[in-house]
Amino acid sequence: RVIGADDKQGVVGAAVRIKGTTVGTVTDVNGNFSLNASNGQTLVITYVGYKTQEVAVSGGPINVTLAVATNQLEDVVVTGYTTQVKKDITGSVAVVSVNDAKKLPATSSEQLLQGQASGVTVINQGAPGANSTVFIRGVNNFGNTSPLYVIDGVQTNNMSQVNPTDIESISVLKDAGSAAIYGVAGGNGVIVVTTKKGRSGKSTFTYDGYYGVQKPLSGNVWRLMTPAQQSQLAYQAGDAGQINGLYAGGAGSLPTYGFRGAGSFNGAASGVTNDASVTALYKFDAANPNNDFLVQKFNQAGTDWFHELFRSAPQQSHTITASGGNDNNTYLYSLNYLNQKGTLLNTFEKRYTARANTTFSYFNNKFRVGESGYVFYRENNGGSGYNQQQEGGTVAETYRQLPLIPVYDIAGNFGGNYAGTSAQLGNATNPVATAMRSVNDRSKTWNMQGTLFAELDFLKHFTARSAFSGNARNNFYYYTGYNPYNDSEPHGNPNQYNTASNYSYTFNTTNTVQYKQIFGKHNISAIVGYEFKRNGGQQLGVQANNFFTLDPNFLTVAGTTDPTSIILTGGNGTYLYQPTSTQSLFAKVDYSFADKYLLGGSVRRDGYSSFFPGRKYGTFPAGSIGWRIGQEEFLKGSKVINDLKLRASYGSLGSNANISGTNSVDTYNYGPGSSFYGIAGGVNSTQLGFYQTSIGNPSTTWETDKILNIGFDLSIVNHFDITAEYYQKRISGLLFPLQLPATAGGAGSPVVNLGNVENKGFDISATYHDQVGEFRYSIGANITTYKNTITSLPDPGYFDLGVGSRIGTLVREQVGHPIGSFFGYKVAGINQSTADANSGATYSGAAAGSYKYVDVNGDGKIDDNDRTFIGNPNPDFTYGLNLNASYKGFDFSAVFYGSQGNKIFNHVKYFTDTYAGFVGGKRTELLTNSAIVANGVVTNPGATLPVLTFNQALGSSAPSTFYIENGSFLRMKVAQLGYTFAPSVLKAVGVSKLHVYLQGNNLFTITKYTGPDPELVPSINNLGNGDRQSAAFGIDFGAYPNNQKSFLLGVNMTF
Amino acid sequence: CKNALDTNPTGVLGSAVLANKAGVDGLLIGAYSLLDGYYSGQPGTNYGSGISNWSFGGLASDDAYKGSDTGDQGGNAAGDIEAHIVSSSNDYVYSKWQVNLAGVVRANNVIAEVPLVKDGSLTAAQGAQAIGEARFLRGVYNFELMKVFRNVPYVDETVNYAAGNLNVPNAPIWDKIEADFTAAMAALPTTQSQPGRANKWAAQAFLAKAYMYDHKYTQALPLLTDLITNGTTASGAKYALGAYGDNFYALTRNNAESVFAAQMTTKDGSNGQNSDFGDVLNFPGGGTYTSCCGFYIPSYNLANAFKTDAAGLPMFQKDATTGFPMYNVTNLKNDHGLAAGAAFTPTTEAVDPRLDFTVGRRGIPYQDWGLCGGETWTRGDLAPYTPKKNVFFQKDVATTADQGGGWATSQGSAINYLLIRVADLYLWRAECYVEANNLAAAEADVNVIRNRMAQHPEYWVHTYVDNSAPSKGNTTTPAANYVIKPYTGQFAANGQAYARQAVYMEHQLEFGMEGHRFFDLQRWDAIFGGPAGANYMANTINAYIKADTRISNPVLNGRTFVAGKHEVFPIPQIEISREGGALKQNPGY
Repeated sequence: RVIGADDKQGVVGAAVRIKGTTVGTVTDVNGNFSLNASNGQTLVITYVGYKTQEVAVSGGPINVTLAVATNQLEDVVVTGYTTQVKKDITGSVAVVSVNDAKKLPATSSEQLLQGQASGVTVINQGAPGANSTVFIRGVNNFGNTSPLYVIDGVQTNNMSQVNPTDIESISVLKDAGSAAIYGVAGGNGVIVVTTKKGRSGKSTFTYDGYYGVQKPLSGNVWRLMTPAQQSQLAYQAGDAGQINGLYAGGAGSLPTYGFRGAGSFNGAASGVTNDASVTALYKFDAANPNNDFLVQKFNQAGTDWFHELFRSAPQQSHTITASGGNDNNTYLYSLNYLNQKGTLLNTFEKRYTARANTTFSYFNNKFRVGESGYVFYRENNGGSGYNQQQEGGTVAETYRQLPLIPVYDIAGNFGGNYAGTSAQLGNATNPVATAMRSVNDRSKTWNMQGTLFAELDFLKHFTARSAFSGNARNNFYYYTGYNPYNDSEPHGNPNQYNTASNYSYTFNTTNTVQYKQIFGKHNISAIVGYEFKRNGGQQLGVQANNFFTLDPNFLTVAGTTDPTSIILTGGNGTYLYQPTSTQSLFAKVDYSFADKYLLGGSVRRDGYSSFFPGRKYGTFPAGSIGWRIGQEEFLKGSKVINDLKLRASYGSLGSNANISGTNSVDTYNYGPGSSFYGIAGGVNSTQLGFYQTSIGNPSTTWETDKILNIGFDLSIVNHFDITAEYYQKRISGLLFPLQLPATAGGAGSPVVNLGNVENKGFDISATYHDQVGEFRYSIGANITTYKNTITSLPDPGYFDLGVGSRIGTLVREQVGHPIGSFFGYKVAGINQSTADANSGATYSGAAAGSYKYVDVNGDGKIDDNDRTFIGNPNPDFTYGLNLNASYKGFDFSAVFYGSQGNKIFNHVKYFTDTYAGFVGGKRTELLTNSAIVANGVVTNPGATLPVLTFNQALGSSAPSTFYIENGSFLRMKVAQLGYTFAPSVLKAVGVSKLHVYLQGNNLFTITKYTGPDPELVPSINNLGNGDRQSAAFGIDFGAYPNNQKSFLLGVNMTF
Repeated sequence: CKNALDTNPTGVLGSAVLANKAGVDGLLIGAYSLLDGYYSGQPGTNYGSGISNWSFGGLASDDAYKGSDTGDQGGNAAGDIEAHIVSSSNDYVYSKWQVNLAGVVRANNVIAEVPLVKDGSLTAAQGAQAIGEARFLRGVYNFELMKVFRNVPYVDETVNYAAGNLNVPNAPIWDKIEADFTAAMAALPTTQSQPGRANKWAAQAFLAKAYMYDHKYTQALPLLTDLITNGTTASGAKYALGAYGDNFYALTRNNAESVFAAQMTTKDGSNGQNSDFGDVLNFPGGGTYTSCCGFYIPSYNLANAFKTDAAGLPMFQKDATTGFPMYNVTNLKNDHGLAAGAAFTPTTEAVDPRLDFTVGRRGIPYQDWGLCGGETWTRGDLAPYTPKKNVFFQKDVATTADQGGGWATSQGSAINYLLIRVADLYLWRAECYVEANNLAAAEADVNVIRNRMAQHPEYWVHTYVDNSAPSKGNTTTPAANYVIKPYTGQFAANGQAYARQAVYMEHQLEFGMEGHRFFDLQRWDAIFGGPAGANYMANTINAYIKADTRISNPVLNGRTFVAGKHEVFPIPQIEISREGGALKQNPGY
């Protein structure tokens, strides 16, 4: 039996192995084990959190008491293609504490990583099931900066669909020493995930589940003013259009009804009135909106669009796991059901996952075959709720839509800016209507992923392994467009049905031979391997208009009443993914002498199909050294230092993420909107034409990442473990879409190797754990810093990005500055008078009450050349904090996450804090803080916003420091209080372990940011554009907030 | 494993597929296809690059305002163009530059592909004609660039990425444009199998147009006379002036007045991208008609210009007090500031009948959509007019309208955009005659244009049979007090300067809201050699700004057109950067 020295309880699941063999077993729930061993043999007992112990076999029952590990150096860590004991690792490998991570209720497993490992930055969004942005040690390039995920050997680009309950361990390979073995795929870092396996011994059956509720943000989220205040605002601005059209009764007055359509009231087809008799004219014709005459009663108190769109939503997850095995075979099966409703209407993520991990051993355990794999079915709304971070997203519409407009009109149909006049009611859409109309939209995905392997031990020290890993995915989605009769843009659109079906596959075959031997003080292990990878896929998409009904039980594209509206290249597109292939040879050697001097080396040679012959192959070497000073005699007796290891690594990796399969050749294509033309004169027919789609560049090759890593691992005073590393990552030959002049024509520019980026910084993680009587606690902290600098770009040394903004360039990528730097004017205050506006550097439109800008280039005028760098969206550091405490049966834990020093471009202010932009919700500050000008002089010198003007001028809305805010925040991600029932109580009901917990998430966020949530994924406008994916971030167009509180009740139960 | 990495391009065509007749034909259609001013996936916006030049030709001139909310397409977009504060990072400028150079390169690809065809499928004559059409198209795209930017890189078929010679310097290239059109004239037949193709006469008309812009009136004159006397459309129809409104109606496309048009198509599988995609914003923003977007609002100035005097002639002479043209001293009566339901009777002032094809105004039939609602049909601030020439008819929505964008209902249109129509030929020839001091001949040509309307009341806009049911059709009663008469010797009597202004005025009236006005002012101004005197353009536009901001205009208030700068638009800064300094910025920018 194995018991723990701390609680004297049986240790469940400890590995017991006969030394020098692979024969072993695992303790059962009471800590018991049985094993056939001979006298004289030695048993090695290992368990996470305890010191590994060796016991000689001398007949009869063996009782082992495991001492609590004072450091984590004996932990076995999964690294590239192999496992290593932590003390022997010379590269930079961050181990995510899976126990802590699992407390974060995640519909997307990438969310588990946030704040859990130094060097890893994770940006989440609130939409259930939506992907997170993950990058390791800073943003590496302007495109795809996502790490490589290796999930039980399957090389893929995300881990979002892995059931968190199934995860056994997560390791993050950050430097060349650890990741270079992944060669060209590892440049952005590697995240290695292994899932749980069965253990030999008694079968166990567990249930893990939770149920909870998520609450939307409370209060006046956008800080918007009331309709009455908007009326006052129109008067203050002297906006005759609004005054005449809506607020004719004087400042603060509001109209009662709005109407518009076929027909007239008092001779007008549209307008507002206080006369209730207009309601008698109401007409609604779903079949033909041109016959509508819609009337709505204005919401004079103001519609809180945010809370009309966001509601409390339930979430639940249930996993049952059966596992067990004998000396030869193990199995683990799990089933998971997850259903998270989003707080935004009609968003949800529903997923059913089945996993089977099995191994079978033969010939005295010398030959093993097995698999680990899962299949899931995933369904979500896929529709409007996910298209955020753009001005047309439903979240953005909650500030863009006037609060005066009601959600529903007088007949219970949707309200909007149609009934009235769009000039005064704006051009936003009713976000509730948009969300409600997406109720039948679905994205349905079947996905199978896994690995089959066979392993053979031979010649005593060798193991050969062959594995086939892959992912096959099939996705079907459809969405409908209803006639938005209530919105002015557009009123008469026909209904629409869009659907697409696609499949994609990726597989890799990996064959390795591993060698391990100890001679005297020499410990050597090596692995060589060959790998082949391929991926590809296809999509058929189609849309059509004018359906008799949008009943999902009826809908097929063939059901359109207007077959001419069928479009294969519509919203979804029909296309082939360009397949790509990689083939590779790799080798790695680790050597240690006397358990003190460590040496590692790896090399990988990769070939990649997208490059031109002669440029296909690259070699990526890395080396690392370590010195376990703690093992030296002079420190061995130290009472302070328990262990200390110094280590360093240097090497190169590559990245081919930012290149398409056809980059090396000229390509041509044709398409109705691209190259067809009605040359025959028909109104509805075009003729086939060709155009060049891309210009090839035969000389393009890898991005090269050269990484230097220096660090130490230190354990002191038996309670304190600290790991600190400094790194320098130089990415050269950046795969960069060449910025060709227009003289090249409209064909896509080739991606070439131009531009360099450098990241450097520190990763620090530390844990402190102690015990006072029965009170045990630990504090874990990690901090990630990175300084990102663009060190080279093709002429002219910069490029600009607007990312779907109406105000032009927001971001400039320039040598000497970090990726994503905000670019614009510097506001130096408000021109206090006409004379002030005309003195010094001025611009067309400068007037009393307009912004005064800094004349950056000193040429006496304000123009484009005075734009400068106004903010860095990259944080100085991000950090995570994990607190754990237990007392008797009670446990408490908390997770904090923070980001410090990052700036946000609050683009929402373009709509809410300027008067000249669009009619819509306005922030209260606009009424209280705007300059008031009389006779050419500002009469309220404390004003911070420009004079209310509906004149267009540089002086109000151009990108400037006006939009820049401090995006630092500290969030309490999780607080969990749990109770574990004593086994003696449970025995009677056949339960061996029962843990219940109550959990609160996102209980508070400390920030100065004025928007709803400072955690911002990139705009959907640059996600769609693959080559610019990571080039702009930290811009708030209206995100699905990720800081919503939720409360969960959960159970972990083992039978 | 040796060949494991050899994957062929998938889902696209390699260049070898095109080296045959079908490939050349397809590349040529691809080159034509940018005439609509847009290609799927282009950088910038479709609004900026649209062939109608509603922004550069319309908003920047005295024709029209941007419309919509002040901020909508305001900064760095259409608003800045209207306000003459265009920066070199303006999105519209960039789009226009990109799309037209893409057109030039597509034409070059045809020229480069012809000699690569070795399979015998393309005869020498077919190859020569394909090159002729390509050179014609290259001339058209370069012409667009010349009008907007003046200093243009001349990109021929030898310029490409592989050759490493993409950094082409910019300069006026009238000589190159003229050479392309001259070559096209020689290579093209007088009739073509398809009406959308350029024939010899279209090339000749563009050559004449280039001479007009290059101020080579004596070279233009015989070409124009030849065209007016002998010219035919690609389908072989003798050039003629038909009903004025037929130029702006989808189902009367490619008629005898159509010298060369960008063919617009709807319901063709392109989701509106071939249906005048540059003009999707330019529809009323309210009323019974539709939903969006209220851009391209005819100016007070433009509407006023249609006033006619007792002699039935336009009132272009200057008013001594205000310095405005006489027509602009007071605004034509309109419904500005009038509430939606208030009674309004359209003015009874005498107006040129072309007004109601050019400007939507309250109380006048708006195609077959009902009586126009005036200011309530606009969306932005304080303007009573709506565009009309690009607006389709309700009865034809099923075939001639298309989705232009998610927010735009049926705002793609199958109305062709006429790059040159027969009326151009007469008015250009009138200009040539004025400069040759043959004033009687000039007056005769202007009268041809005026008489089309003066002698054909059936071409005018007529009242509805039933205002509440426009589909019932129109009466024969004119919708307003239309008075238009030909000149009767005033040209000779008042001299060359008067005649010149009269011809210019006729251009303004005949082609209002067709995107030419800015460029006409530019070529008439002395700055590039025009005959109208120094600062003619600046003076005209500044007087317009002064007149039209009598009613506060959020975009135009306080703006100035700077002579020597604003006659052309800035070269996109990003292109100057990308060409590594080979491109020069235009003066003043």
